[in-house]
Amino acid sequence: MNNVEAKFILQGYRPNGADAGDTTFSTALEQTRVDPALHDWFVREQAFDSAISAKLGQIQPPAGLREAILAGGRVTSSDSTQRRWWQQPVFMAAAASVAVLFALSLALWPRTAEAKIDLAGFALADAMHGEAHDGHGEDTAALQAMLSAPANQLSRGLPVDFEALRKAGCRTVNFADQPVLEVCFKRNGAWFHCYIARRADFPALAAALTPRLTDRNGASIASWADAAHLFVVVSKTGRAPLERLL
Amino acid sequence: MEAGDIFNQLVDAHYTPLFRFALSLTKNSSDAGDLTQQTFFIWAKQGHALREEGKAKSWLFTTLYREFLRSRRRAERVTALEDLGPVEADPPAPAVDVVTGMDAGLVVEALQEVDEVYRAPLTLFYMQELSYKEIADMLEVPIGTVMSRLSRGKAQLRAALARKESGARAKVVPFDAPAARKLS
Repeated sequence: MNNVEAKFILQGYRPNGADAGDTTFSTALEQTRVDPALHDWFVREQAFDSAISAKLGQIQPPAGLREAILAGGRVTSSDSTQRRWWQQPVFMAAAASVAVLFALSLALWPRTAEAKIDLAGFALADAMHGEAHDGHGEDTAALQAMLSAPANQLSRGLPVDFEALRKAGCRTVNFADQPVLEVCFKRNGAWFHCYIARRADFPALAAALTPRLTDRNGASIASWADAAHLFVVVSKTGRAPLERLL
Repeated sequence: MEAGDIFNQLVDAHYTPLFRFALSLTKNSSDAGDLTQQTFFIWAKQGHALREEGKAKSWLFTTLYREFLRSRRRAERVTALEDLGPVEADPPAPAVDVVTGMDAGLVVEALQEVDEVYRAPLTLFYMQELSYKEIADMLEVPIGTVMSRLSRGKAQLRAALARKESGARAKVVPFDAPAARKLS
């Protein structure tokens, strides 16, 4: 390393010594110990940098800025708690547009294989034999909390990142050789089982954009879809609690 | 710890350095205050998604810089500046004791005269809050580019400080100068 290279590296060395442990500077620093000219330059450079840093540190924010930030932060935080991103008007409008396009595509979609695929029936069978369980992983817990929140209407949209949930350890079952996620949740004292499949995995399956309710084998089932996912929610406690979720 | 407490702690720890960085970018105290507030409001809205609290500082600086860029689209200017020739070797600079004796506001003014593309990494460097690696991450440029921008930025700062210093000296009118006699 020549002195030009050493200078190029050392001018990024903070004068407060915060970079002392950074090996990038080791060789160049070592060179300052054996080369007096480089050493003198480095001392001058550090003194100059230190003087500028000290001057910059004397600049104080205007009075009242801290209080304004704290007050504004409280308002912003409270507003964002009330209305999550998927509940924002812009997103809802976009979702509505997607829904219209999706409805049109569904109307034109070939349905020859539909009769062979009964996701709702599969979900019902699984729910009838499965026990309620907690979500696995932080992402699943977040979705579970959202499903359980009394004010949330599930048919208005669910924030699902299928792959993230799967990787986070969300219970995954196989249906027609495709993965289907299952999240149990409790609302108002009743347990529900929510099944989520990717639309792309079931191209032949038609699904309504608004929830369709059916009763089978003593259980109630709601099924619907959004642009990317199919949803089935199974309730073993009757139709009314299920209707209140949607 | 409550979300409100975390927010308060975050503001107390970072609002001053963020304001200084914003001031160097916007060249205006009022705009700098607005930009600092805006950054914290974005955190209040989205920051709960940040899983590692230790990364909050980098996140805040990055967000402030992006918000600044969003308000000022100057991509062509940046490209043109990157095409400049090699850095002038050892540009004239005021001595360290002269800088030490200068008013802090004057030093910040000199910093604000540095071209924007160099000013952001240079200010971050002088604030000593972030390492050159963190600055590179924040600006989304390679480490070598940060080093290069620091080098050019320092050269421009030295030149600006020298101008400020000579300007300040020119304002000191000798008592026996004709202009001074007119005033008396």
